[in-house]
Amino acid sequence: METGGSPACGRAAPLPQRADVPMSNMNPVVRWFHQLGSPPYFDRFAARWAPWAFALGLATMAVGMYLGLFVVPADYQQGDSFRILYIHVPSAWMSMAMFALMAFYGAIALVWRIKLCEILAMACAPVGAAFTLITLATGSIWGKPMWGTWWDWDPRLTSQLVLLFLYFGVIGLYAAIEDRRAAARAASLLAIVGVVMLPIIRYSVVWWNSLHQGQTIRVFGESSMDASMLPPLLWMVVGTKFWAIGSVLARARADNLQREAGKDWVRRAAGVER
Amino acid sequence: MSYAGYVIAAYAVFAAVLLWDFVAPRIRIAQVLRAVRLLARRDPARARNAAQELKR
Repeated sequence: METGGSPACGRAAPLPQRADVPMSNMNPVVRWFHQLGSPPYFDRFAARWAPWAFALGLATMAVGMYLGLFVVPADYQQGDSFRILYIHVPSAWMSMAMFALMAFYGAIALVWRIKLCEILAMACAPVGAAFTLITLATGSIWGKPMWGTWWDWDPRLTSQLVLLFLYFGVIGLYAAIEDRRAAARAASLLAIVGVVMLPIIRYSVVWWNSLHQGQTIRVFGESSMDASMLPPLLWMVVGTKFWAIGSVLARARADNLQREAGKDWVRRAAGVER
Repeated sequence: MSYAGYVIAAYAVFAAVLLWDFVAPRIRIAQVLRAVRLLARRDPARARNAAQELKR
């Protein structure tokens, strides 16, 4: 294993290994977390598992889309337009989940200065922004035939738009500061502050009069959606999760390689012989 | 009512954004690795030039 194989490798001086707990005697899970903090180890991990996550996500979403487009009957009121729900709802959930994950990694990065968590937090931003963009676009496309308008300054739609701007803010702030570590910490702070938007989005349809429909799918309790329409949604929810894992790993790998570009292990990864 | 056009448009947006999401990190990884290779190719040449300068 490379030196600096602990999550503390991002500190100015790595913490000395405790003499009484050698790596070989560590709990395997704890050891794995320590190893994952090592940039070359993470690169190998991401290079190995990102394609699998993408493939699983694609396969799962393909099943969900097939069921949603060709198997499930049309809605008695909305006709076929309700099929947009199968991409809109999982994307909306992912847009909020990615923001929460970004803030979680950002908090760890700020408190413990773990470099990998900075990288992972910043990798979440474009993925979450992509899902937010899908949510807004597909919602707009559904809104035109159902509401008669592409857009309305409704609390749910507006708060979701603010979430997209917050993602852009995080991405922009990270790109604007030259020092990668300082940039990640500043952007992490914005992500943590932005978490306040998540309950606002979630309860916007309850707190205010909203054109957007209320909660129809409940994890606990009965959903107001017919049971025959649920399986494609579940496939899509699982599929988007796998996809997001693959995307975060791939983006984190790219950022990790860029940050470590001067190191020998990156030269070896690039096929440069010494 | 089918609303097929709207459904197709929504799924096309979904596919296009996910395609970008798949391709973008790959392009960036390829760019970084290419830059590392170019830098490695340039550095020995620079070192050779510096050695010749010192001989003169």
